[in-house]
Amino acid sequence: MLQVDDLTASIGGTPILRGLDLDVGAGEVHAIMGPNGSGKSTFAHALAGRDGYEIGGAATLNEVDLLDMEPEARAAAGVFVGFQYPVEIPGVNHMYFLRTALNSVRRARGETEIGARDFLAVAQEAMDLVEMKQDFLHRAVNSGFSGGEKKRNEILQMAVMQPRLAVLDETDSGLDIDALRIVASGVNALRSPERSMIVITHYQRLLEYIKPDFVHVLVDGRIVKSGDHTLALHLEDHGYADFVNHDLDAPDRPLSGAAT
Amino acid sequence: MTTVATASPIEYPSRHDERWRYAPHDLLGRLSFGPPSASTGKLPGPIGAQIPALHGPLIVIVNGVVDELCSNLTALPDGLRLSTLADASTDPAVPVAAHFNHDVDAEADVFMALNTTFGVDGAFVDVAEGQQLDAPIHIVDVAIPDETTNTSCSGVVIHLGTGSSATIIETRLGGSDAFGGSNTRTTITLDDHSTLEHIVLQDMPSTQVHLGRVEVIQQAGSTLRARSFNLGAIYGRLAYDVHLAGAGAQTELSGLYHGAGEQTLDQQITVIHTARDCTSRQSYRGVLDDESAGVFNGGIDVRPGADGTDAEQHNDNLLLSNRAEANTQPRLEILADDVACKHGATVGQLDANAMYYLRTRGIPAADARRLLVNAFAAQAVDDIGIDAVRTWIRGRLGSADA
Ligand SMILES: Nc1ncnc2c1ncn2[C@@H]1O[C@H](COP(=O)(O)OP(=O)(O)OP(=O)(O)O)[C@@H](O)[C@H]1O
Ligand SMILES: [Mg+2]
Repeated sequence: MLQVDDLTASIGGTPILRGLDLDVGAGEVHAIMGPNGSGKSTFAHALAGRDGYEIGGAATLNEVDLLDMEPEARAAAGVFVGFQYPVEIPGVNHMYFLRTALNSVRRARGETEIGARDFLAVAQEAMDLVEMKQDFLHRAVNSGFSGGEKKRNEILQMAVMQPRLAVLDETDSGLDIDALRIVASGVNALRSPERSMIVITHYQRLLEYIKPDFVHVLVDGRIVKSGDHTLALHLEDHGYADFVNHDLDAPDRPLSGAAT
Repeated sequence: MTTVATASPIEYPSRHDERWRYAPHDLLGRLSFGPPSASTGKLPGPIGAQIPALHGPLIVIVNGVVDELCSNLTALPDGLRLSTLADASTDPAVPVAAHFNHDVDAEADVFMALNTTFGVDGAFVDVAEGQQLDAPIHIVDVAIPDETTNTSCSGVVIHLGTGSSATIIETRLGGSDAFGGSNTRTTITLDDHSTLEHIVLQDMPSTQVHLGRVEVIQQAGSTLRARSFNLGAIYGRLAYDVHLAGAGAQTELSGLYHGAGEQTLDQQITVIHTARDCTSRQSYRGVLDDESAGVFNGGIDVRPGADGTDAEQHNDNLLLSNRAEANTQPRLEILADDVACKHGATVGQLDANAMYYLRTRGIPAADARRLLVNAFAAQAVDDIGIDAVRTWIRGRLGSADA
C-alpha cells in the first residue's frame, strides 16, 4: 500500500529526514515513536504535501507517486493526515468545511457529490463515532475548540474522508482518559483491510487500545529500529537511550530514563 | 459640458490633500458634468438582473433622472413620503432644503459642488414621527455615460422623524462599459430616537468612477447602522461624514471593500462628536487582489464638550497578491473629557497554515482561498438581515453556496 524509500526532507539546507524507509501493507497499523524533534511530524507533512521542504527519495501509495502531487491531489488519492496541531479556521463553518472536503475528493475521483441533506447522515455517523455534540458542526473549524476536542475532530474528519492511508500525528497527546478511549475506538472502528494507518505517538497507552502490527523507532530522521508491539513496551521502560547518539546531543549526561 | 477645472471656484483636489491622495487624478480630470438630459431617465433592460431583488418601495435613477416607470412608488405604507427629489424640491410643503444643507463641517470639494449644481433629481424619503417601516426602501442609481456628459449626478435626501425607523438600501450601478461614472450625495437627518439601517451597494463597471458621499446628522438618542459594500468601479469612493449632534446618539459604520485588477477602493470616513455620551463604531474590512488598492482614511473627531464619548475604529485588510496594497490612516482628534477611544488596523495575508490544512482535506487551492476570503469578509455580510441583499452580496463575492 504505502512504500517509502530513502525519503529525505530538509528545510533551508538543514536535513530533517535523512533516508527514511517504510513499507505499510494494506490493512496494517504501524506505530512510529521517537524523541522530540526526530522528524515524526515532518514525515507526516512530507506525505501530506506541505511545501517548504526539499524532498528526495520516493513515496508511493498503491504504486502512485505521491511526492509530485499537490496536497489536495494526495487527499483525493486517499492520504489523510491527522495534525499534531490542528489549525483553527475562524469564519469557516465546520459542517460546510466537511462537506466541501468530502465533495472535493469525490469530484476529483469522478464520483457524484453528496447533497446537504445526505451529508447530514454522514456527519452524524462520524459525530457519533467520536462522541461529539451536534453543536460542533455549527461552529467554525477548530475555532475555540479545546486541545482534546481538536484531536477528536481530526478523527471525525478521518471518518468522513474514509482515506486509504491515515497518518495520525500524536492524536493521543493532550487527551483525558475518556477522550483517549474515544479516539482509540474511533481508530479501531475505521480499521479495515483496505485501509492502512500510521500512528505517531509518544505513549504506550494508546498502543494498548490500538494493537499495532509494527512499531518503529524514528531517530534523527531515520527509522533505527522496527519490531512488534513489545518494542513500545521496551521504550516505555528504557526511553530512547539505546537508539540516540549520546555524543551529539548531551556529551556529559546519559539520556536513559529521559522518558519517565 | 463642464469639466472639473471650470465647474466652480472650489479647487480641484490636489494630490497633497490627504483625502484625495490615492485617487486616480488623471481619471478624475476626464470626468465631465452637465445637467441631466430628460431623455436619459430610462433603465436599460439588462441592468435589471444586477439589481438586488427587493420587493417594496423602489426609486430608480438613471443618469440623474428618476425613471418613474421602473420605480415603485405606489401603495406606500402610512407615514412614508417617498418621491423624486425634483418633485419634493418644488413642493412648498416639503422642507427639503432644511435637510439638505447640513452643518456637518464636512469638507466641501468640487464634486460636491457639481452635485449641488447638477444633482437636482434623485430620491426624497421622509418617515413620519413614530412610524416603524418594515419593508426596505430601495434606491437604485444607474450611470450610463454619454458623449457630452459622462458622469451623472444625483441626490438622496432622507429624513427620519422622531422615534421612527426605516431601512434604506442604495444600489449604485453602471449601464455601459464606456468611461464615466456617477457622483451621488446622500443627506441623512435622524431626529431624536429614530433608527436607520442604511446599506450602500456599489458595483459599477470597472471602467467607471463612483464618487459617493453620505452626510449624516444625528439627534439625541438616534441610531444609525450604515454598511457599505464597495465592490465595483475603477475608482470607487465612499465618503461618510457623520455628525453626532444630540446626546446619546449611536452610530455604527461598517463596510467591506473587495478589489481586484487595477481598482482603487477608497473609504473616507469621519465621525464628529459634538454631543455628550455618544457612541461610534467604525469597522471596515478590505480584500485586495491583483494590483488593487484599498484606502481607509478614518477620522474620529471629538469636539470640546462631547464628554463621555465612546469611539472605536477598526480596519483589517487581507492582501491576496503581493502587488495589492492597503493604505490605512487613522485620524484622531480628542478635545473632550472622559473619552474612550480605541483604534486598530491590520494588514495581512491568507493564513498559509489554514490554506495547507484545507488542501490536505482535498479542497483545491482556489476553493480553499475563496473559503478563507469569504470567512474574512463574512463579518460584514452575515449580520445583514435582508435575505435579498445578503444573497446579492454573496453572489457578487462568489460565495453563493456558503
Ligand atoms: N520550518 C522549520 N524550520 C526549521 N526547522 C524546522 C522546521 N520545521 C521543523 N523543523 C525542525 O525539524 C525537526 C523535526 O521536527 P518535527 O516536528 O518533525 O519533530 P517531531 O518528531 O514531530 O517532534 P515532536 O515529538 O516534538 O512532535 C525539529 O528539530 C524541528 O525544529
Ligand atoms: Mg511532532
